[in-house]
Amino acid sequence: MIVLFALYPGIHTLLTISPVGAEAVALLPDVETMTAVLYFGLFAMSFDFISGYTGYLSFGHAAFYGAGAYFVVLAANGKIPLVPAGTSFMLLLVLAGLAALVLAIAIGAVSFRLSGVYFAMITLGFSQVLYVFVRGWNYVGSNPRDGVFVTGERGGFEIGVPFIDSLNVAIGQLTGDEIEGLLGAISLSAGEVSYYAIGGVVVVCYLAMQRILHSPFGRVMVAIRENEERARAVGYDTFRYKLAAFAVSGFFAGIAGALFAGFQRSVTPDDTFYFLVAGDALLASIIGGFGTLVGPLYGRLFDESVREFLSTAGAGGGLLPYLREHVPADVLATELVGGVTVQGAIEAFLNGHASLYLGLLFVLFVLYVPNGLLGTLRNRLGGTVASWTARQLERRR
Amino acid sequence: MIDGPLALLGGPVALQIGDALGQFLQPRTLARVFVDGLAKAALYVMIAAGLTLIFGLMGVLNFAHGSLTMIGAYLGGAILVVLVGGGGPTTLALFFVTVVAVFGLLAAFGGLLEVGLIRPLYDRPPIYQILLTFGLTLVLDELARIVVSFYGLQPISDWQAALGTKPPILTQSIGLGPVSVSGLALFQIGFGLVTVLAIYAFLTRTRYGLVVRAGSEDSEMVDALGIDVRRVFTVVFALGVGIAGVAGTLLAWDATWGASVPLASETLLPAFVVVIVGGLGTFRGTVVAGLLVGLVDSTMTWWFQNAIEFTGLPEMTIFLILVITLIVRPQGLFGLAEVGGH
Repeated sequence: MIVLFALYPGIHTLLTISPVGAEAVALLPDVETMTAVLYFGLFAMSFDFISGYTGYLSFGHAAFYGAGAYFVVLAANGKIPLVPAGTSFMLLLVLAGLAALVLAIAIGAVSFRLSGVYFAMITLGFSQVLYVFVRGWNYVGSNPRDGVFVTGERGGFEIGVPFIDSLNVAIGQLTGDEIEGLLGAISLSAGEVSYYAIGGVVVVCYLAMQRILHSPFGRVMVAIRENEERARAVGYDTFRYKLAAFAVSGFFAGIAGALFAGFQRSVTPDDTFYFLVAGDALLASIIGGFGTLVGPLYGRLFDESVREFLSTAGAGGGLLPYLREHVPADVLATELVGGVTVQGAIEAFLNGHASLYLGLLFVLFVLYVPNGLLGTLRNRLGGTVASWTARQLERRR
Repeated sequence: MIDGPLALLGGPVALQIGDALGQFLQPRTLARVFVDGLAKAALYVMIAAGLTLIFGLMGVLNFAHGSLTMIGAYLGGAILVVLVGGGGPTTLALFFVTVVAVFGLLAAFGGLLEVGLIRPLYDRPPIYQILLTFGLTLVLDELARIVVSFYGLQPISDWQAALGTKPPILTQSIGLGPVSVSGLALFQIGFGLVTVLAIYAFLTRTRYGLVVRAGSEDSEMVDALGIDVRRVFTVVFALGVGIAGVAGTLLAWDATWGASVPLASETLLPAFVVVIVGGLGTFRGTVVAGLLVGLVDSTMTWWFQNAIEFTGLPEMTIFLILVITLIVRPQGLFGLAEVGGH
């Protein structure tokens, strides 16, 4: 399923120059949004890794995302002891992940004495403590409440093989590299280079998590979800397994946060440590499929598409600009009820209110599609998409 | 302002703490902090009472509680603005009319929510109820935002028109012996006390309260006795939502809270803290935890205003209380150990 993401920029470009271009621009998220889908999707996957597979709802998962993001920005500003300002980004990614891992062990060691609602609440409590702390901590920047950005002369952060310049590309919204004439034919814009570079890291992390879940360790995680007492009776020290799974999950959440900071070059407490960030990951996991590792990525894609589709003036277009351009003026001026025109209704109900429709969709998903997009697809196909594809190919041979 | 974590231990701050301690121990300051704490406690208990009632009986952790409180604040504010207009001596009476109206409206809404959305989920794992009510908050918050921006009621900051309906007697300070206390604080304490007593009386003195308490012990057994537990669930959910609305109406007069869309998460998180610290689902625990959180909060607020300069810490206090309580006593102050299992 993850392969489909590699083809996206090409398809997007093809569709936007095709006859249905205007509709495609309105309907499809642009490459920049897709980059955000990738790193946030990784965070949602790491959330699903612990919550979907062991059944422990980690409501404070934003703490690890925030730890990774702040680590990168602080390190780039030379504010982390022993980490000089010029450290390569690949190393920073790993270090950010490790910082989040240490944090996860500290929080997990206390939190896993509890279960169910209490576990969700204590993790939420820890993340809120960190959120308020970072918001008031003058060390991170002169105005911590509004966030910090990467200062200094540095260009974009470089992703690639460390110490080999030609195998590194810079990422970033405005600072990224462009590639022209690769293999004689392929040219990529700065946005697309960032997309593929970040996508590469996300894929590696995804494969690592998938490997862990399919190992005996992952089986124990599922056993804990299904019946923890029985797993303990069989002889597993479930506390250790839960803690280890939590640490792994924290590690990848930290990497996701680091990618976010590397791409955006600035972080604020509200889009890293705040509990609703974990809420967004929850949203993505439920819509994509709780307990399917790649599901959250698609869930996030779904979220972002709806959000951008309904945004005020999304960079990649959206419904509102499309309607403004293509709906005749006399229709817009028509009165509906009590002096509210069509234009007024559109402005009131569509203008940047994507959360409303996402919330409605979410409620409908919880009620009627509890397995999410991918879980339902899997149930239909009788296995993962990969195994279904393999079976189909086998049959056609 | 401190420059790093180590400065907390450093010299100049420690000197100030010595002075501050002397000031803090003066009877006047102590009494003031105590009354402030009681007022805060009254608000915290009001916010958390509905949540704990619903969890106690049904085991549903209602994530939409904050949004419902926020809607109560707007609804109460709107009714007050319409009723009071110019202001006058009858304002307090009108406030109670408003409270009854908001309670009725939100209780009806809560009943609808329970029947339409929560009822289908009782057979599923409890996590789905959290998820559903979480989705509900997104919808309610965004709807509130649409309505508020449609009527131009100041979407971000507090709603001044609702604050303006406060009668003059509550904005003055009232002398109580050596200390002067704001009228609003006394009003909040009184209101909170009456509500707590009313809920307590409902639970222990009425027949329906008996059924509710029995239902939270063993709902299957109550069902077997021929009582329609589902209807009890609906009624209790409606009651809890109604109390959330009343709490919101009370907050609409308080300048530090006020009616605004972010009020939803500002009240939801303290409500969770109070309910969890007290022990999920125990009403007595909620009241005690509300007192604890309110008093610690007002004490810490005084300290951070006068001795320790760290902008975010007052907000951090209540989460620290949560974390410390859960570390020391995972089931909460009055909770039973086995309740934490689900």
